[in-house]
Amino acid sequence: MLKASILVLGGGFLAQTALAQEGPGDPASGRDLARQCRTCHGIEGYAKMPIVPHIGGENPAYLRHQLTAFRDGTRVHEMMSVVAAGLSDQAIADLAAWYGAQTPVATLGPGQEAAGAPEACVACHGADGIARIEDAPNLAGETVMYLDTQLKAFRSGKRVHDIMSGIAAEMTNDEIRVVSEWYSSVQFEVIPAE
Amino acid sequence: MKYLLSSIATLALSAGLAQAQAANVPDNLEKLSNFQSTGVTEFTFIDQTGPYADGIRETLKRIKLPDGFKIELYAVVPDARHMAVGPQGIVTFVGTRKDKVWSVTDRNKDRVADEVKDFAPSLRFSIPNGPCFSPDGFLYIAEQNRVLLFPAAEFFYESPDVAAFNLVAKGDLIPEDEESFNHTARVCDIGPDGKIYISLGQPFNVAPADRLEKYKKWGIGGIIRMNTDGTGREVYTYGVRNSVGQDFHPETGELWWTDNQVDGMGDDIPPGELNRQTEMGQHFGHPWYGGGSVRTNEYKGEEVPVEVVMPAVETVAHAADLGMVFYTGKQFPAHYKNAIFSAQHGSWNRTEPVGARVMVTHIDADGNATMEPFAEGWLDENGEYLGRPVDVAQLRDGSLLVSDDLAGAIYRISYEGN
Repeated sequence: MLKASILVLGGGFLAQTALAQEGPGDPASGRDLARQCRTCHGIEGYAKMPIVPHIGGENPAYLRHQLTAFRDGTRVHEMMSVVAAGLSDQAIADLAAWYGAQTPVATLGPGQEAAGAPEACVACHGADGIARIEDAPNLAGETVMYLDTQLKAFRSGKRVHDIMSGIAAEMTNDEIRVVSEWYSSVQFEVIPAE
Repeated sequence: MKYLLSSIATLALSAGLAQAQAANVPDNLEKLSNFQSTGVTEFTFIDQTGPYADGIRETLKRIKLPDGFKIELYAVVPDARHMAVGPQGIVTFVGTRKDKVWSVTDRNKDRVADEVKDFAPSLRFSIPNGPCFSPDGFLYIAEQNRVLLFPAAEFFYESPDVAAFNLVAKGDLIPEDEESFNHTARVCDIGPDGKIYISLGQPFNVAPADRLEKYKKWGIGGIIRMNTDGTGREVYTYGVRNSVGQDFHPETGELWWTDNQVDGMGDDIPPGELNRQTEMGQHFGHPWYGGGSVRTNEYKGEEVPVEVVMPAVETVAHAADLGMVFYTGKQFPAHYKNAIFSAQHGSWNRTEPVGARVMVTHIDADGNATMEPFAEGWLDENGEYLGRPVDVAQLRDGSLLVSDDLAGAIYRISYEGN
């Protein structure tokens, strides 16, 4: 029941947000555009540095959301706001299509069992950190500090989301760290698209 | 052993700082501060042989250096960032932007490390990018929002439980609502005055006007200093965007530091910076200047309300000048004495990537500084990074260590003559 209501909320969020919706993006064009992403995110979306997330195999809808939010200023990041400022709707769709075309593979780390996954997260993000719904990111294998930073951003209001803002608002620093360590401990790889 | 005991005695006398802050320290830090065991006994060891190390050695064949110099793999160290070489030459500590600090040991002294393991595995670090040593063997580690100190770290690191204390307790380095991941790779150094100097990058591309008063008070977008018992904190440097490298001139004692400049203004502006600071309280221009004399769009046309010190060297735009060290060794030819070796991490948003190299800066008798490439080749013909240098440190034999957080490695550059 909890899962169902969250899905409904997610749908409402999608409907309200002004999005780039000119049909599907072109992955080949997205690969060309990804030249400007690869130094940090890798050409196939396996992150090259700890401060950035893995985006290979992310749901294209999630990537479109985030890039649009960076461009429009509703999500702010020192580097991403600069990069996204120059992206057209089509470029966003193409990038989302390219990174979304990769296959994410998550494997629970040594000593991890699915039953031990953080309860509040699994309905959307899965025990292994592979998203179960369209508008959630994969969390598997992200660095502890990336996840910690995002949860604190939701808690403080720097980053806003219908569901996440409410969940993070209730979390202590220690709880945030524990959740972050869980998903960070999941082993993650990206299988490149053909 | 006498050395160790006297270090600890000094610490115990220094203003009781561990006790004063004990209320909000995590359990393990509290235990370690009381010299108790945490029960953590497992180290993580990093394999130093095999195909991964061989792949790095292959890359190093491409690196070009001046005649007589060579570069070799010193250690495989995941996410290697800033380095602190122990004053006794026993161990080098290496920070990361994740949650580990690595200890790197060359036991057989063949100038290749043979053991890399995590330091203080019972502690939860948060972006422990910046380790630094005092001459008497105290290790400091500057994190996102805390600075820990470890007496006699070169002795204790062999055990999972080390002596550990707060210098700046979690949440006291910056206000918690200013914590971020970007521009949060702190570096530290002990100055000739015996104080610790800590860089505090500001988290924005260009700092917004409504934050400036708060940042000025805390030294965010600046460099702060304090006594090594945690007292006497003051802002030493203003107008910094994001400094991730600093060192003191061996003769003048002046603080030199690198700064990363504003993005989104084009491929070729504004320049990066190497700065020379001659006195406390100087202002280096951010946010009114985006780098060198280039004004930021956000503050264009505004009168600059402070006196601004311009950089000693303007570097290639977006190359990301990071860690630096003054050369005081005897191994290199004489003209490298007191030169600055620094790392350019490489650009992330330039049409044609630039950087990923080690630079050398010579300073002439009048104080004029000129920078040129020293080691390069980590950027290949396709514009792909094969490595990204972060920091440069000097070993006791006068050779240099260079860290690389993309390859996850430390290289050693030595001089063997012609």
